[in-house]
Amino acid sequence: MPLIETSGLSKQFGSVQALADLNLQIMPREIYGLLGPNGAGKTTSIKIITGLVEPTSGWVKVAGFDPVKNPIEAKSRIGYVAENPILYESLSPRDFLEFVASMRKIDQNTANQRVTQLADAFDMAQYFDSPIATLSMGMKQKVALIASFVHQPPILLLDEPLNGLDAKSSRIAKDLVSLHAQRGGAVLFSTHIMEVAEHICTRIGIIHQGKVIAEGTLDQLRSKTGGKSETLEEVLLKLTNEETQVADATRMLGEAIFK
Amino acid sequence: MKLTEAWHLSRIPYREVVYRSLAEEKGRMWWGAFGRSQFDKEGRSDFELTKRVLRIAKFDKLVVALFCVISSAMPFTSLFSGSRAIGLAISISLSLSVTFGFTALYAIQTLSSFVSAESSALLFTLPLSKDDFSKITLFSFIRSVDYMVVGAIVSQVILVAYLTVSPFATLLMFVASIMNAVFAVTVALWFSRFFYRNLTRGGRSKSGTFLRLVFILMWGSLLLGVGLLLSIPWYIVPHLEAALLSFNQLSSLFFFIVYPFSAGIAIANLVYPNAAFSAVLIASVAMIGYVMLAGVAGKWSLETVKHVSQGAGIKRSRVANQDFSIRTHSPIFGYVMKDLKISSRNPATAFFFALPVLETLIVSLLTTNYQMLRVSTVLVATTTGGIFALLMPLALLNAEGTGLEYTKTLPVNSNRIMTSKTLISTATYVPVPLTMLAMSFMKQMTSPLAILIPFLTILAIASASIFEIKLFLGSAADGKIAAVARDAEKMVAGVITALIPLIAYTASYFISFDHVTAILAMGGAAVIELAVALHVLKHS
Repeated sequence: MPLIETSGLSKQFGSVQALADLNLQIMPREIYGLLGPNGAGKTTSIKIITGLVEPTSGWVKVAGFDPVKNPIEAKSRIGYVAENPILYESLSPRDFLEFVASMRKIDQNTANQRVTQLADAFDMAQYFDSPIATLSMGMKQKVALIASFVHQPPILLLDEPLNGLDAKSSRIAKDLVSLHAQRGGAVLFSTHIMEVAEHICTRIGIIHQGKVIAEGTLDQLRSKTGGKSETLEEVLLKLTNEETQVADATRMLGEAIFK
Repeated sequence: MKLTEAWHLSRIPYREVVYRSLAEEKGRMWWGAFGRSQFDKEGRSDFELTKRVLRIAKFDKLVVALFCVISSAMPFTSLFSGSRAIGLAISISLSLSVTFGFTALYAIQTLSSFVSAESSALLFTLPLSKDDFSKITLFSFIRSVDYMVVGAIVSQVILVAYLTVSPFATLLMFVASIMNAVFAVTVALWFSRFFYRNLTRGGRSKSGTFLRLVFILMWGSLLLGVGLLLSIPWYIVPHLEAALLSFNQLSSLFFFIVYPFSAGIAIANLVYPNAAFSAVLIASVAMIGYVMLAGVAGKWSLETVKHVSQGAGIKRSRVANQDFSIRTHSPIFGYVMKDLKISSRNPATAFFFALPVLETLIVSLLTTNYQMLRVSTVLVATTTGGIFALLMPLALLNAEGTGLEYTKTLPVNSNRIMTSKTLISTATYVPVPLTMLAMSFMKQMTSPLAILIPFLTILAIASASIFEIKLFLGSAADGKIAAVARDAEKMVAGVITALIPLIAYTASYFISFDHVTAILAMGGAAVIELAVALHVLKHS
């Protein structure tokens, strides 16, 4: 049974079609990479699955629950990291994690054990009692990551989770995501870093102008573009028809700026 | 760079402060919230949102400036009671006091964003000289309070010119008004900076929490002072007049030395030179001292503005802490704790926590002047205290700000959010019945049943809070979470809910002339309201 399932999902913002007919099935042990240009509909997809945004049409099931009709059941099973972590800025990471653990009804000992391990791994020692407003973007991202793992949810929805992270934390985060999948969890992972997607995602969906235009493993995607040794970046640019645009823009800028 | 050019450029950092303060719901005084019911819908487009935020800011500034002008003019009514000289001294003093308090309160709301926003950080990356940068920063700071300060100065100067027809008195009033604005803005800046410093320092120290509490109480006292000056000048004026007429007493010496009375006396004596020479001398010397102090305060403000706008001057300490333990609570208590923390750490909402103190003082003031505690007094005191408590849901929702978006990803329904905020709001009203109970032991009551009125109102306050929050959350359901609590029109629903049981009491008393019947009617109304509110809460 898929842990994340969407069918005919679409979202209209005024005259803008942000998402059109998104059909996804993400199984346990899968890390699904959602890739695409800016404004393609990645964040909208994740927000709809999280229950933050209601779809215009179509449906979503998260571990079998509809986030619109059964939000509590669905959200209990989700760990979410936003593209720009929006947290309570005046709280310290400690206060914030106390709040999250309380809302998720995690018992004291379990919460303490998990938070201690995660905070220690992410080097939060100097920042644990500072207001979140004063933290760097990377530190805020770490707080959001800890909050998403603290209840050990079966589903992780990660929208650019490595934004601002240093090399060590980035590696820990990627390893955690892989471990999560190995233990039976499902991950929907949006990123612009192609190497990361290439390295950890078991399946990749390319989204463009609100539509999934290609889906599969890296090799399956390569077969669609006809290049056997292409990088994921090259595959993506070909599939979204941006390859020639990149070449034109580089040539034009080279002439305009560096002449 | 020309001054006009710097003034024009200062719009950029000023807009940044305004945008951040409104977009993050750092708040404004409650009257600034009217007419924003469509905020969420227009907010879909960021461009529209930005334009709307700036329109709202301009509207806020105009409304507040108008209110400030009216407030600065109101005390001049005391000119027409008693001696003309004393009347003028009191009018000027009270006008300066009201404007000072009002400007400081409003400036705290705005400057908290200025202090925290590093508003000029972007300008700092541009090739501007230090001098130009300072000019732009200073002008952006002035833009935050320009309408109300100019409005107050103009109204005070025109009124004194019209009433005295004395160029010297008018000139002195002009100096005093500018000085007053400088003091007010300096105090606001100091408060905002102090609060922000205390907040950014972080840590779990009890002293930090204590300092924030002191800040909240000081702020509350300032508000109370302005409120008292505005609402009961007829109570203050006779006392002032009596004190000023008895120069030999220590209290009158206090008035001659202490600002703004020294300013009032000095100006009044220019027009009506009949006070004792020693009194005038003391007041004049004090005035010179205050002008010098204003110079120092102004200089400090300028330096501080320069520092904070560059993101400097705020020391952040990082203490390595290997203790990562957290305390979990039940979801309701956890939410209450979070609400208390975020709203007490936001300068724009923190002062609402001084409400219980203010309620106690106001209820005490309203009742102490009477030998007997009449039902009408109990009703008035209860209503006043209740209305104050109903500001709390607005403050709590404001404090949520954009963080509510994260909460929406947690398994939390609106029922829990409403319960948490209702509990806090109702708790802030509790000092009212307790103060009334204490008063009932000290004074005779026309009916002992009257003491039940403030206690039954606890139910009405809980119901009113639920309805208010339900309406607020409803307005955010369309998607613009940051705009959640920006519609003070909805507070009217809360006030009406709180008033219904009191109206039920009054109406049934006038029909039956029986306190038992009236109390039963009030209790019935309060219980029915609460039942409806709990039904709404259950189905949220």
